[in-house]
This record gives sequence, structure tokens and C-alpha cells, in this order.
Amino acid sequence: MALPQAAALLAASLTLAAPCLPARADPAAPAPTGATGPATVVSPPKTAVMTAPGPEGAEALDVTLSPECRVPGSKLYTLARLGAVKLALTEKRPVRVLTVGSSSAGLGASATYPVKLETALERSLPDVDVVVESRGMQGEIASGAAERLRNMVAEIEPDLVIWQVGTHDALARVDAEDFANALDETVQWIKGHEIDVVLVTPVYTASLASDAYYISLVHKVQAVAAREGVPVVQRYEAMRYLSGQGQKGEGHLLGSQFRLNDLGLRCMAEHVTRAITLSLLQADAVVTGTTKAPAAVIVPPRDAAVKATVPPPPVLIAPGD
Amino acid sequence: MREPNAIDFWRGLALVTIFVNHIPGNTFERYTYSQYGISDAAELFVFLAGWSIGIATRGRDGRPEPRGRSVLRLLSRTIEVYRAQITTMALALAMIAGTALVLDNPLLLEWHNAGGFFADPIQTMVGFALLTHQLGFFNILPLYVVLLGIAPVFVLLARVSRLAALALSFGLYFASLVFDWNLPSWPGEGDWFFDPLCWQLLLVLGFVAEDWNRRSPWLRTWSVRLVPVGIAIVVTGIVLSVLEIRPDPVLVPEPRLLFTFDKTYLTPARLIHFLGMLLAFQTLYAVLAPRLGPVAGYLTGLGRNSLAVFSIGSLLSLAAQLVRFWTGGGVFVDVSVVGSGLIALGFTAWFVEWRSRKPRPSSPPA
Repeated sequence: MALPQAAALLAASLTLAAPCLPARADPAAPAPTGATGPATVVSPPKTAVMTAPGPEGAEALDVTLSPECRVPGSKLYTLARLGAVKLALTEKRPVRVLTVGSSSAGLGASATYPVKLETALERSLPDVDVVVESRGMQGEIASGAAERLRNMVAEIEPDLVIWQVGTHDALARVDAEDFANALDETVQWIKGHEIDVVLVTPVYTASLASDAYYISLVHKVQAVAAREGVPVVQRYEAMRYLSGQGQKGEGHLLGSQFRLNDLGLRCMAEHVTRAITLSLLQADAVVTGTTKAPAAVIVPPRDAAVKATVPPPPVLIAPGD
Repeated sequence: MREPNAIDFWRGLALVTIFVNHIPGNTFERYTYSQYGISDAAELFVFLAGWSIGIATRGRDGRPEPRGRSVLRLLSRTIEVYRAQITTMALALAMIAGTALVLDNPLLLEWHNAGGFFADPIQTMVGFALLTHQLGFFNILPLYVVLLGIAPVFVLLARVSRLAALALSFGLYFASLVFDWNLPSWPGEGDWFFDPLCWQLLLVLGFVAEDWNRRSPWLRTWSVRLVPVGIAIVVTGIVLSVLEIRPDPVLVPEPRLLFTFDKTYLTPARLIHFLGMLLAFQTLYAVLAPRLGPVAGYLTGLGRNSLAVFSIGSLLSLAAQLVRFWTGGGVFVDVSVVGSGLIALGFTAWFVEWRSRKPRPSSPPA
């Protein structure tokens, strides 16, 4: 994305967003460098997302992230409304989060993904108690794992399910259509019980960068998220972007991709948190959003988000088709 | 070497089913009976384990062996199964890591629950030895270790009163369903994939059923009369699983686990379906065995050597998964990996029996 275009869009959305934003600075905003102003969330067309990583600096990096995890917003997420979490915030009760997926397993004891996620969420939502339950899940969505997820949801009764999905189906080479149908059905089921869902795409790895099947599975996760109007964290895109940022040539014993996996885990907590925080703020701040034109998001005061009584219709900023 | 019998035959079939079902996405998966019912091969495997304990802890004349010997026998079996679990898990992790290195593909490191081991080896190594860190598809043996570990309690109690053993077992099962009791995973959050506190019921049922079946003509008569009930349950299971009809776990009344279809807790629906299968198919072996010829011989061979066949089968399933992923799958690959796997399982059974026949230098014949 060219800078002038982004600037124009930013200006346009500022105008759009201005009427519903109180004109005061937000002390609780998670941006450490206030000078950069609003965090931009821009979604270029899907083809650009999947095939051509933009040259560095073409789009502003999200500076609210740790330096080693910094990725442009378009590589990181598409946003959508999170009604159940918002309700929990309004009712001032703890937000219960269930995080499911391959990286959610076995990591509870040390400060890795689930722990970092809880910390990061509580940091970006001050005064809110976030309870993260993490579960590894065996099996494929297309056969059995979806049913296990339902039982897990019934057991834990979360407000939000953060679902890192697709790895096992990719490893089993499950038919991409079957995978998408089963995923769609399960997301519908979760949403049908007034529980929010955030999907996380599987890892990027150079050895699968030209594997058409794998890429189609990543696409399916994005497509289901778009269809169901749920946020998606582009772990694949984020890792691919980071892999192009001078990680090569370090001569690590296991190769750069193996270090990246570790980095991917650490950054994923930040990325997921960023997507959730912005999704929470987004529905109240943005009054328009189409699948064609990229839109931008302004971080309003947290109060504004919490006090909203009549939420606007769901807004989804999805990669254009 | 035992003569071919129904127990080994069905156990062999369960082993083949587990091997095929543990290669998710493969062409043959949809032809296993697990796809056409609420319960699957795991129930059969555990029930038959209980049945075998009944046989093993008695002499040929049906009289129970001395208590101390039964306890030591079960302890020795527990150690054997634990050793098998540790060995197969170690080899599985090495296969996953090795393939990830060769293919330069870290996606493989996130293979069903393996991620924890690679990201967090210090805690996970402890969980590995404690059996509280389990890889996906490698969680039956940990269940089996716990079941064999607690089996002496039920075996000795049943010598005093079979009803008392059943009552204790049912009580533990229902309490676990009502209060969600399960053993914890560690270092990952969550619980065991197979809840031993629930699954012990099948082991005890198998053990008690073997005893009753041997001495009670009443049970034998009634189990034959109830065959139509069994068939009705099996047909219901086929309809429910083909149409994907099942209760919504969020909407069912409390206690939730009494109503859901949940493998982890062997919920009542699964238990009833399994008992229906038992009733429906109890006499089938006598009909099948003469007609199947070498297939029956193959399956009973697997069943006689179930621990070795299961362990090798787990590793072969994983190898097949890795090959399918690497090659992209397809019918040709599926036929090759499943076909060579079945041959390898047969060889494993034969090899174990060959080794036990062969005199060992360390133990000269008396």
C-alpha cells in the first residue's frame, strides 16, 4: 500500500470517526509512543496479502507491539465486533477466555503463549480481570475435534474463544472444503451461544510458502472469519512478514525458521491481544467499513467503548475480494 | 501360544481399527466401524483388557490364583505398559522432530500436543515421565497404566463380592461424571484425554463379565435373548452418527456429562452404545471365524500380542501421518501406508511369538 493512499484513508476515517469520539486524549490507550497517534488498521486486497509481502516501510508498523513483533496492521488482523466480551466489560465481571490450539498445549507452566496472553490482555484492558484457560486439542476440525471443542466450551463457559486453527487439518491433508465447512459450522455454533470467537491462522514456514494446499487452508480460515464476521489474527502473514525482516543468515544450528517458530509463539500473544483490543474498540469507533475500501481505526478512550449501550451493526474489515 | 479365540479376534480388530483411525484423513478411515457408532475401538480395547485380567488371574479350572500372585502379576503388567508408553512417546517425539528438521518445517512441531515438549522441555520432560503430558493419539497407554495400577483393588474386592466391586466402580464412574473428576494434565492445562476414573468402569465390567459368563447360565441365556436390543442400539448408533445427531453440550441439563457424547468421560451414551454392540455381536465370532480363514488367524495373532502390536501400531500410524503430509496424501499413498502398516503389524505379532519361542541364552531351559 502506498503511503499517500494510506494517509488519505486515515484522514477520511478520522472525519468519519470524529463525531462519535470525545475530543480528549486517552490516558489508557495502549500506545506507548503517543506521537504516532491512532493505530491504523488497513486491509489491502486479499491477493496482495497472500502473495506479495510489501517492502519494508511501505506501511506503518504497529508500534504498540514489541520491536521484534512489529508488523503492519494489514499483515496482522481483520477486526470484527466482540459482543460477549463487551458485555462482560459492561457488567464489570471477569472476562473468561478459552484459548485452544496447538500452541496452547503444554505451555501453561512457563511464561509462554497462554500466560503472556493473559498478561498482555490485562495490560491493554486495565481494571479488567481476564481469566485465560488454555487447552491443547488433538484431532482435526473436520473429524472429531470440533465436537471436542464444543464439550470444552460447555465445560469452561467462556466469553471468548481464541482458536488457533488449521494446523492439524493441514498435517492430515484434510480436504480444504471439508475443513472450511466444519470450521464454519463450529464458529456458527459458538456464536450461536453468545460467545465471541477470534480465529488465528496457522504458522508460516518457508518450506510451505509454495504449497498450494496449505495456502488454501490459510485462505479458508480467513474466508470463514469473513463470512461469520469474526476477527482473525493473521499469524501466517505476521510470521511471513517477520521472516523477511533480516532473520536470515544468522547461521543458527536449526535454521532461521526454527527460531521463528519460537518468536512466532511469543509474538502471537501480542498479536492476538492487539486484535482483540482493537476489535473491542472498533465497533463503536468506526461507523463504516466495507470489504472493498480499506478503513482505518482510531483508538478512542476506553470509557467510550464500555459505555456504549446500543452497539452499531457488526463491522468487518475484511480483505477485499 | 493360545488357540484362536473370540477375545483375541475382537482385540485384533480393535487394534487394526485404532491403527487406521490414527491416520486422520486417510481414505480408509471412513470404512472403520468407529464412523458408524457413538462408541469406538477404545471401548472394546479396554473392556477386553478387563476380560483378559479375569482369565489371567485364574487357573485353567477357573479357580482364582493366590492373591499375592495376582497383585504381582498386575504390577508387572503395569510396569510393562509404562515402559511401552515411555518408549513409544520418546520415539514419536524423535520422529516428529526429525521430520521437522529434514523437511525444514516447524509446522510439524505443533503436531497434536507435541508443541509443549519442544517449546517447554524442562517442565514437559517431567510431565512426560509422570504421564501427565500426553501426545495426541498416544493417550491410551497412560489410561491403561492407571487402570492396571488400580485393578488389584477391584480384582481382590471381586473375590469377596462381585457386586461390591461393581458398585464401587459404578459409584466412582457416576461421581466422576457429576463432579467432572479427571486427572490433570501438566504442564499444559486441562485434563487427561481418557479419564481413568470413568474408563475404569469398562475394565471392571470386562473383568466381572468374564467371571459371570463362565459360571452363570442365566447370564448366557439372557445375553442371547437380548440380541435384538443390542441390534436396535447399534442401528440407532448408525443413524445418529451418520446424520450427526448429538446433544448440544451447552444446552443439556446439569450434570452435563450424563447427557453429552464425550469420549473423555465415557459418557452414558457411549457406554450404552458399547454394551449394545457387545450384545449384538457376541455370537458373531463363531459365525465369522470359519469363513474368514487367514484373516481370523491374522487378527487373533494381533490380539494375542496386543501391547507390542499397539505400540508399533502407534508409531506406524505416526509414520503414516508424516508420509501423507510429506507426499500430500492421495489414494495411492493411503493404500501404500495402510497396506504396509498392516503387514508390519502382522510381522510384529509373529516376531514377538518367535522371540518367546526361541530359547534365550540367559534363561536356559530347566
